[in-house]
Amino acid sequence: MNPRTVPGPRRFTLALLILTVPLLLALLGPLFAGEPGPRAASFTLGGGHWAGTDFVGRDVWRQVLLGGRPVVLTALAATALAYAVALPLGLIAALTHRRWLEELVMRPFDVLLAVPSLLFLLLVAAVLTPDAGGLALLVALVNIPDAVRAVRAATAEAAARPAVEALRMQGETWWRTAIGYVGRSALRTLAADAGVRLAGVLYLVATAAFLGIGAEPDAADWAVMVDRNRTGMFLQPWAVVLPAVLIMALTMGTNLLFDAALTRPDRGPGQDRRGRRPAADRGDQGTAPDRRDRGPAPDRVPQPGRTPAPPSPTDGPPRAPGRDEKSNPCI
Amino acid sequence: MHLNEPDAAEVQDLRVEIDGRALVDGVSLRVPPGRITALIGASGSGKTTTGLALLHEHPPGARVTGEIRVPDGLVGYVPQHPATVLNPARPVAALLQDIARTQIRHLPRRDRRTAIRQRILRALGQARLQDGETLLNRYPHQLSGGQQQRVVLAQALLTGAGILVADEPTTGQDAVTKQQIADQLAAVAREGIAVLLLSHDLEVVRALADHVHVLRAGRIVESGTPEQLWSRPQHSWTRALLTSAAATEPSEGPPVQNGTDETASGPAAATTVLRVRSLIARHGKSTVLRTPELLLPPGCSAIMGRSGSGKTTLARCLAGLHRSYDGEILLDGVALPRSLRDRTREQLAAVQYVFQDARAAFDEHRPVLDQVARSAIRLRAAPRTEALAEAERTLSTLGLPGDLVRRRPTELSGGELQRAALARALLARPRVLICDEITSGQDAVTRRSLRTLLAGLVRTHPELSLVLITHDRDTATLATRIAVLDDGHVVEQGPADELVTAPQHPLTAALLQPAPDVGVMSGMRG
Repeated sequence: MNPRTVPGPRRFTLALLILTVPLLLALLGPLFAGEPGPRAASFTLGGGHWAGTDFVGRDVWRQVLLGGRPVVLTALAATALAYAVALPLGLIAALTHRRWLEELVMRPFDVLLAVPSLLFLLLVAAVLTPDAGGLALLVALVNIPDAVRAVRAATAEAAARPAVEALRMQGETWWRTAIGYVGRSALRTLAADAGVRLAGVLYLVATAAFLGIGAEPDAADWAVMVDRNRTGMFLQPWAVVLPAVLIMALTMGTNLLFDAALTRPDRGPGQDRRGRRPAADRGDQGTAPDRRDRGPAPDRVPQPGRTPAPPSPTDGPPRAPGRDEKSNPCI
Repeated sequence: MHLNEPDAAEVQDLRVEIDGRALVDGVSLRVPPGRITALIGASGSGKTTTGLALLHEHPPGARVTGEIRVPDGLVGYVPQHPATVLNPARPVAALLQDIARTQIRHLPRRDRRTAIRQRILRALGQARLQDGETLLNRYPHQLSGGQQQRVVLAQALLTGAGILVADEPTTGQDAVTKQQIADQLAAVAREGIAVLLLSHDLEVVRALADHVHVLRAGRIVESGTPEQLWSRPQHSWTRALLTSAAATEPSEGPPVQNGTDETASGPAAATTVLRVRSLIARHGKSTVLRTPELLLPPGCSAIMGRSGSGKTTLARCLAGLHRSYDGEILLDGVALPRSLRDRTREQLAAVQYVFQDARAAFDEHRPVLDQVARSAIRLRAAPRTEALAEAERTLSTLGLPGDLVRRRPTELSGGELQRAALARALLARPRVLICDEITSGQDAVTRRSLRTLLAGLVRTHPELSLVLITHDRDTATLATRIAVLDDGHVVEQGPADELVTAPQHPLTAALLQPAPDVGVMSGMRG
């Protein structure tokens, strides 16, 4: 089921199917975890543990219930932090007219981009031994240069428009211009980037946990579980398979969800390529020219049907935005 | 001369439908060779669709019925913005060679090179491109707009097409360029090529065309020669379209009373609102504008010039949008800071600017009313409800009803958005309102309504100083004072009446001439 060809809300079905289970387990799991039972032998199946026991004899299912939260929360926190820093910096770089300021913001990040993220994590972890919060901070730091570039590239086009100058002429504050107009114009691109980044951060957080950064060696954490229970994988696969599948489902589901949210819904009937509705009145009121549709909507969202308003007699026909529609011979 | 030759193209009962709606509804016409046939009508009347149907192009998903016969099989097409069809990554010679190469396959290899060159030079000559040889090695972005258009024309002619479809060739151009384009098309027709001119520029159509079809809502409502149509229009729509093309509407004439008052007050330094002193503006390293002295008194002033003469740079310097300049701009004797950011709220409110592209100057996500009211909220610290009420009042005086302005900009037409932009600027209660080419690129009906609006503004706001940046003669004649720029220098400035009746500089005369004059050309055609 390709989200691109499925119209309407059905395109969310697959994403939600895949994402709901790990997300619910991660966020609500600890409520159902209950008390820890007595320790059993490691890597055994059965005996009341329907998913078996892990490397220290704890019930795997209980660990799964408890282990989602750290992963999800760290990943979300890292992404949010990365954007909280990248958004203002990217907007400053895009909106400034001072060349030196733009260079000052962007060049240091170019240098940081060259540093491999995992290596950086390992280095810092070796020196500082961070906890979960520290890990979130580190992962955010690693993602910021990329996010700043993405924000600047996405907003550069909108920042050069006359609308920004018009807002300045109105004395509008920098924040309302930057976030309210420029940021809003680049929303789709930024949302797509956020989806990709979240998936990447999940991967990085999980990898960090595999390597023992940011979590105790016996913590209830899906990624840690995958690492620690590897040794007994052929005795008792569920201790590895369950958390691994859940991490994968989380990453895939997030990606698919963002994909589906960003897919434009299919056009309904009665509209041409540019999302026009048939003109409600054909302008046969004397000298008034036809009040046709107003030209392509930038997001190509279907226009709501309009009630025929009385055409003003001096109003002219629509002019295409920016590039004139006639320059495209294939209209 | 060509009367007995078969038509270069013939269209019978063309009907183009999309989703049940007819873009073109039963159009039949013939395009004879060596003649210029024009299709006129408002935007959206089906001109472009008909023109493109000759190329067998139609909007995706459209149902096309009817018969289109092009015996030659080849149709040339010149779009409105020629730069968009030139490959920017290849020099002009390569673009033309690609076409020429397909035509000389039958020749032996050693003759091909010279044959290609001959064809290219001939096509460039037909397109009236001077120094064609020197331009061959340039890339499209290194050519001026006029040269790009001629290269596209040469491309079309090189294919050996017997018919050329010219889509809005003169829209948005200044008078001198319009003349050149008109001459080009007339020359092409003289070579025996049929030209189908799609335009809403009625002056050019009247001067150039041999036969005119009036389109409305996809149907031809009237056809005839320009003389017939202009003197005895039969259909009411033709009458409406052609009378709106009448140059200056007599009932809304320029405010002559103000003009005489201003010119009588000698140096007028005391009443001057805006004064430019020793302005030297730069783009990067190169100087684009040198204005030793420019006076803009209260009332309506116009700054005219060809494209690229520096008018927009001057306007942007006045507004504070262009900050790399030396010299001073004085508002009531007080120097204005160069950059917008350094201006106080009062200074910002005093000088307002209306952009050429109204659609790009609005935020497409917010309702128009909110954006218009924002001027008052930010620049005059007015409370929100009051600002909204004032915005709605101003918009309705400009002809935009309340329910329309509560919509997003995407649902308004270009003309309506231009009025909304005017309202947005007016809400700041400015002393100086700079309108940058707001009538260019619009069709005749919208242009006329905007001109009426501007003339009305001058009357209802006597303390407002309107500065019109334009290359359009009819807009400039609304002003009482005109300054003409050429290549960054002020070549002439003075009262509008003087410049219109007795221009000193040849450029002034060229820009203020009534209409492209192809009378000589049409007389020479058989």
